[in-house]
Amino acid sequence: MVQKKEVAEKLGALFSLKVGNISGQLEETAREFFCADSKLMDDEEVADLSSEFVNLIAGLLSSKDPHRRTSPQFHALEAFFSGLALRMLMRGGNVDDVVRYAQKLQYSLIDALEKDSGIAFTQSRSVLLYFAQHFDELIMAVFRTYLGERENTLKAQEAELRETSTPITEIWDGVLTLPIIGTLDSSRTMLVMEALLNRIARDHARAVVMDLTGVKNIDSQVSHHLIQMVRAVQLMGSDAIITGIHPEIARALVSLNIDLSGVTTRASLSDGLKEAFLRLGIHVSHKES
Amino acid sequence: MAISGIHLTRIGKGNYLLEPLRSMNIQDPGALLQHIVAQVQQGHGTHLYYDLSELPIIDQIYYDWLDKLARTCQTINIKMTCINMQSTAAFTLSKFLTSKPAFATALDVPD
Repeated sequence: MVQKKEVAEKLGALFSLKVGNISGQLEETAREFFCADSKLMDDEEVADLSSEFVNLIAGLLSSKDPHRRTSPQFHALEAFFSGLALRMLMRGGNVDDVVRYAQKLQYSLIDALEKDSGIAFTQSRSVLLYFAQHFDELIMAVFRTYLGERENTLKAQEAELRETSTPITEIWDGVLTLPIIGTLDSSRTMLVMEALLNRIARDHARAVVMDLTGVKNIDSQVSHHLIQMVRAVQLMGSDAIITGIHPEIARALVSLNIDLSGVTTRASLSDGLKEAFLRLGIHVSHKES
Repeated sequence: MAISGIHLTRIGKGNYLLEPLRSMNIQDPGALLQHIVAQVQQGHGTHLYYDLSELPIIDQIYYDWLDKLARTCQTINIKMTCINMQSTAAFTLSKFLTSKPAFATALDVPD
């Protein structure tokens, strides 16, 4: 423990004297990863980055317990790497560069300290171990940021997909249309239903036309979901009209003993719209010439 | 006469609006049913609108209460319509509903 503290104290003392020089030497490492081919940073930003890093590591080494990875000084370093990872990802860089930069930074830091102090740190196991442990944790912070960002992107893509797979349109005041295309599985039906019911509540829609022209097959579970969706629409006080049922689907519904007696069905979307307009007392006609 | 746990207001010729309050107790629906139906009947009401706007979920117990109230209304020729059902309530109710409910539904009280 005493030895640990001595290591950190010695490094801290060295840092406080040599900050300026070390920062200059570390700029090279940053340039290699962020300026060379990728051009993710300019020289000025690299200088700021290196100087900020050196200040933060000097702050950690001069802290009360430089070995504690829960100290505010270490959290500041973690935040520095997380912020850097986020910035690089947003600029089109990849996480590998940031991780490699962090690894190289560790060696460059030891090299720079050796050069400036004349002490062979590479011979000191305790110093190497100290930096290795801290940098491992900092690399973890980079990965956490990367994974968090990836998760956010996936969530955003998922939300977009959900939005586009349920294109609920208000085709007339109080009339919604919902063309269902592709396979209807249980989870998708739930999403469609949620979106549809929220839309009815928001727009105060009085009729909903659900078009199944794009649905090629249906199973027992899905047909029950469909009936459930119709029931939920009706419970909210709207009229539900199902259109475009393929003969194969009609046959499947009958063989599955699905009761469609309480459901209004029409052959095509246009017939469904006519029915919805009729119920709402809307009259659409050709313009008289 | 005010009935504890609900607001029952006459909103037009023959129409009544029932707004349940948080304090409404449906554990023992008998007395409550009797009071509601009696008041609507006294006012020569023919239509009872039940406002569900404050109810995010309708479970089996609440549905049984609605069903009982609607069937009681039917026996004395009062039509019951549930209005302003929230999407979450419609979703949960549609999951366990096996037949057409005894009450009608509408988005709101018609103009």
